[in-house]
Amino acid sequence: MNMAEKIAGVWPEIALLLGAALCLLVGLARSVAIRRFTGWIAAASLLVAGWIVAAQVCNAGGVIGLTPYIKLAVVAVGLILLMVAAAVPVQLKMTRDIEAGREPFEPGLVIRGEFFAFFLFSLTGVMLTADASDLVWLFLALELTSLPTYVMVATSRDRVEAQESGVKYFFLGAMAAAVFLYGFALIYGATGQTSFSLIVDAANQQIAAQGRISPLLTTGIVLSLLGVAFKIAAVPMHFYAADVYQGATTAVTAFLAFVPKTAGFVALIALLGLLPDGYVPPAITWLLWIMAALTMTVGNVLGLMQSNVKRVLAYSSIAHSGYMLVGLLALHGSGDALGNGTAAILFYLVAYGLATIGAFAVLGSLQARGEEAETFDDISGLVRTHPVLAGVMLLSVLSLLGLPPMIGFLGKIYLFGSAIQHGFVGLVVIAVLNSAVSAVYYLRIASACFFGDSEGHTVSTPGISRPLAAGIAAVAALILGFAGGRLVSTARDAGGFPTGRNDVVTTPSQPPAATTASR
Amino acid sequence: MNLDLIKFIPWLPALAAVLCGLCCTKKALRCLAAPICILSIASGFVIAFLHRGGVPPGGAVVPFFEWINIGGFSANFSYFIDPLTLIMLFVVCGIGTLVAWYAAFYMKGDKGYARFFTFVSLFIFAMTNLVMADNLVLLYLGWEGVGLCSYLLIGYYYNKPSAVAAAKKAFIVNRIGDLGFALGIFLVYQTFGTVSLREAIIAAEHVSEPSTAVTLIPFLLMLGAFGKSAQLPLYVWLPDAMEGPTPVSALIHAATMVTAGVYMIARLLPIFVLSPYALPVVAVVGGLTAVFAATIALCQYDIKRIYAYSTISQLGYMFLGVGALSTVGGVFHLFTHAFFKALLFLTAGSVMHALAGQLDLRKMSGLRTKMPVTCWLMFVGCLALAGFPLTAGFFSKDMILAAVMEKGLGEHGQPLFLALGILGLFTAFLTAFYTFRLWFRVFMGPEQYEMGEEHHGAEEHGHDHGHGEDAKPQAASDIKVEHHHDAHEMPLLMNLPLIVLAAGAIAAGYWAEHSGWIESMVESSTAAVHGGESAHAAELFGYHLHTAMMVISSAISILGIALAAYFHWLNRPAADAAARQYKSIVTLLNNKYYVDEINDAAIVTPLRTKGEIFFAIDRLIIDALVTLVGLVPRALGIGARRLQTGALQGYGLGMACGAAVLLLLVLFVAN
Amino acid sequence: MTDPLHSLTLAHYLFTGAVLFVLGVIGFISRRNLIIMFLCTEMMFQGVAVTLVAFSRYHQNDTGQTFVIFLLTIAAAEAALALGLVVLLFRRRRTLDAQAWGEMKG
Repeated sequence: MNMAEKIAGVWPEIALLLGAALCLLVGLARSVAIRRFTGWIAAASLLVAGWIVAAQVCNAGGVIGLTPYIKLAVVAVGLILLMVAAAVPVQLKMTRDIEAGREPFEPGLVIRGEFFAFFLFSLTGVMLTADASDLVWLFLALELTSLPTYVMVATSRDRVEAQESGVKYFFLGAMAAAVFLYGFALIYGATGQTSFSLIVDAANQQIAAQGRISPLLTTGIVLSLLGVAFKIAAVPMHFYAADVYQGATTAVTAFLAFVPKTAGFVALIALLGLLPDGYVPPAITWLLWIMAALTMTVGNVLGLMQSNVKRVLAYSSIAHSGYMLVGLLALHGSGDALGNGTAAILFYLVAYGLATIGAFAVLGSLQARGEEAETFDDISGLVRTHPVLAGVMLLSVLSLLGLPPMIGFLGKIYLFGSAIQHGFVGLVVIAVLNSAVSAVYYLRIASACFFGDSEGHTVSTPGISRPLAAGIAAVAALILGFAGGRLVSTARDAGGFPTGRNDVVTTPSQPPAATTASR
Repeated sequence: MNLDLIKFIPWLPALAAVLCGLCCTKKALRCLAAPICILSIASGFVIAFLHRGGVPPGGAVVPFFEWINIGGFSANFSYFIDPLTLIMLFVVCGIGTLVAWYAAFYMKGDKGYARFFTFVSLFIFAMTNLVMADNLVLLYLGWEGVGLCSYLLIGYYYNKPSAVAAAKKAFIVNRIGDLGFALGIFLVYQTFGTVSLREAIIAAEHVSEPSTAVTLIPFLLMLGAFGKSAQLPLYVWLPDAMEGPTPVSALIHAATMVTAGVYMIARLLPIFVLSPYALPVVAVVGGLTAVFAATIALCQYDIKRIYAYSTISQLGYMFLGVGALSTVGGVFHLFTHAFFKALLFLTAGSVMHALAGQLDLRKMSGLRTKMPVTCWLMFVGCLALAGFPLTAGFFSKDMILAAVMEKGLGEHGQPLFLALGILGLFTAFLTAFYTFRLWFRVFMGPEQYEMGEEHHGAEEHGHDHGHGEDAKPQAASDIKVEHHHDAHEMPLLMNLPLIVLAAGAIAAGYWAEHSGWIESMVESSTAAVHGGESAHAAELFGYHLHTAMMVISSAISILGIALAAYFHWLNRPAADAAARQYKSIVTLLNNKYYVDEINDAAIVTPLRTKGEIFFAIDRLIIDALVTLVGLVPRALGIGARRLQTGALQGYGLGMACGAAVLLLLVLFVAN
Repeated sequence: MTDPLHSLTLAHYLFTGAVLFVLGVIGFISRRNLIIMFLCTEMMFQGVAVTLVAFSRYHQNDTGQTFVIFLLTIAAAEAALALGLVVLLFRRRRTLDAQAWGEMKG
């Protein structure tokens, strides 16, 4: 693939980067009225990026391969996230003081431009991750996704907890980055290449010569998977998740639950795509199996013990990563049947994203004692004070729980069905048991909202954008649950290709044959 | 006949749920919720009724819209209509309409009036999807949906902690069953390559040598059925579920939702016969549950709890019937039970309404003059439940017992089924006894009662925090309490649905059996039993088995009623009369009391003790077991929580060690 | 006497890289000062860089060295971020002890 083609592929990212740069500039403006535009600029650049992706998809005749799918998902979910995050700068005391004229204007202290710029940078990172066809590129894209989120976590809230989250997230993140980087180095060492397609060629040669890939390559991939597991908060890299989710402001937490996770899974899919077709060394199967089982179990059992809804949702996020890891085991599936783990993960990312963002947006729409709502007490009896938000919360947790007809149910069928088709029945049994356990804490959220006693100290935060985002996410989760056919077929098209080698993909997928997968 | 209309049966209540949800938001609109809900369910019934003769043999699939289509895996919103579906639709929509009608009056003045009907409409949506589903995934949708609505409705009085706890318990116990069900569905897809009911059934009928996986399927599905239909050991949620409003108990926890398990097994019968042990296990669990729950019902004082245990027991009968390959009997009993149990619950609701939430048997007596209509309506229900000759319950129970005995005494008589049949007869006796114990206690004897503390089962308004919105209903309910100071009969409009139910409880059995309707319906559905039935009917004491069983069970039920009448009615008026006539002779009364004691010691106490023992088992062992299962994850959580120390280095250490251990482990395993 | 550096093989470099990496991990876990901890993550990065350069030399291509350039860039970006964060934290608590930041747990 030559340079021109490569650049043509990243036009959406360029749009986002330009938007981010513009945000940074406008954020420095002296006049508040102009500074207020930063959020709109971010929205506009997302829309432009979305339009470019859509145009590319139209040109290509469909969502072919994982890249356009991820880009579309990032734009769509990014817009909802932006609605949730729009009020973050105004919530900061420093910004408020300056904008109300109580403090003199100091460009460095108004966190408006920076926040939206970092927001866009991180989304750009996810898109670039999906574009990656080279280890260096993948590394840079992953870092571009993560670095802005460290800043967003640390600076988006006045409380000391936010700084604590920031420090934990940043240091542990740096350590995890070193781990996957070491893995990348070993992969390079084992093959002498950093380009995905060349690595696959080298691996194929190793198979041809020795009947297996070299231990060095296996070790490299294992280390990379372990390092990238940090982004999806999988065991053993999950420790930070609850603390960081709790400490960050709710809008940023919602961001963390979707954006780095998406990048992480895209990277994992790409890394597993380095293996020759149909060949998975037992070490990697074992690694994924153990990680999946541990991740969902740890997430769910710890979720039971929490009194803070944000922590519950953090552990739920860990658990969902565990479910999605199940799909990674079924990665090498046929393109169109149930059994394509990539497609299942791609679908599940959107399903999970909508539900979890809905839940976080409800929390962000509420205030208790001047702080964003986060404990069970804060949302207790919500149905009496804010019936719509309570309904949204119910839909969200039901979708997370995987109750039909919510989109989460479709996602689980797709994931677990794929794993069963590949013979991982034991793991699916663990997963189903786990989702039964998770009912307990999801239900606690629902019953706090519906059956709890309202103490009347919870009020809504000013502004319509958060409740609106919550509503959009929840309604989307419900409607897509009923009419998810389109999204499923899109995910299937997107996942129906050998991954990590986007440059070799040229033909669109065949329409699915109406064969039964009976055996 | 054109089947197009039938696909709207679930979606009218769905629309109603949305409209009722809108009614929740505006106070002026609240009163509209009930008519919308009733209308939507009733039109479902009318549509089903119009199609009563128009179902093609073998059933028909009515596609609605595409839902899931992943390669070879397709599960759409399309409906499978065969006679069994129609029976279920009659039950769900018919009883649903009547109960909603009753509830429109019963729930009046309640703050959550519109919320109640939203959930009821949603329930009917889920339930109709469940019974009409043409594939297992849609069935699962309905299955989970009814569970969710049940959860929301049990917890309807959210100010009562017991109601909230009961709601949670119901949901979680059901999840245990659903887990098996979900795995069963996965396995069905894995084995037959389809989740379509029709294709799976056809595939199952052509399996010649079942593999292990295939024989596992019925057991997994069974687990789901036992959870939903409250069978041993997953029944613990149903007695607690009585915390919900009484119409909900009548509709969801007696007539419709809890029978979903029976429906599912009947529907998937060809899959269940794949394993030689599956149906006997169903029968054994059903039989044991029937007698177990009936014994517990003996020692209860809470009217609704007695009916709850009785429901568990009757569901046990249905499983016994289905397990003995008498799907006709099982479905027939499901059909008749829906009438009389809904009737019983609703009349219990009327009593509760009249006595301001009083449910304790010991605190009411002789209500027949105050509430004559309710009294005789409940009498009809009790007769049917007790299996009094020629009532609906008599015919259906008899059909099950005859089928079980047939298997026990027939050509290849299996002692297991003989034992189960005897167990069933014993249960019939217990049923008659506890049913009439309740009725005689409540309506016969001297008139005395204590009012309950609740405002006719409505919410405790005192708990509200004085939002402006709430002030008015509270005042309204205060007036109502003033008005309903004494026990009183329900208005005619409220009793109207009960009269319909009572008519059903009397006549439905005779009609359905003698016109051959139920048999022809079930036999032309997928629940039909093919072959295997011996041509020679077994004989008992020289009579045709069926006739013999009719006589025996009539005798048994009359014996039970008589015994109950003696202990809970006749003794009391006799004593009263004596006391009035010979006021000076107190000794007689004492003497009477003495005799009573002896009788008590001889017959009632053993029964009661057994009931209490089983009740203790219920509370101490089964409940504890179910709780214990819930404790395992919590214990794991306590362990895992220790690692979440909050210290940065601790996390770093955890990550480094975890990664190192995993790395070494997988590399070691790989080599 | 031959030049001792002539007998250096790939393994030596890889070993050096691995040792740097592991020392970084150990330092990260055992030190409490946030700046030192950050330097330890930098040491892990440098371990990776040494490995990459060694492999680059071994495979006789430049890709690994290019990778190192990008790696150093990112490391620099992280350093900038770390400094900013450290200043922010120090202003808040007047200490850089990692133990001071452990209120949220469970």
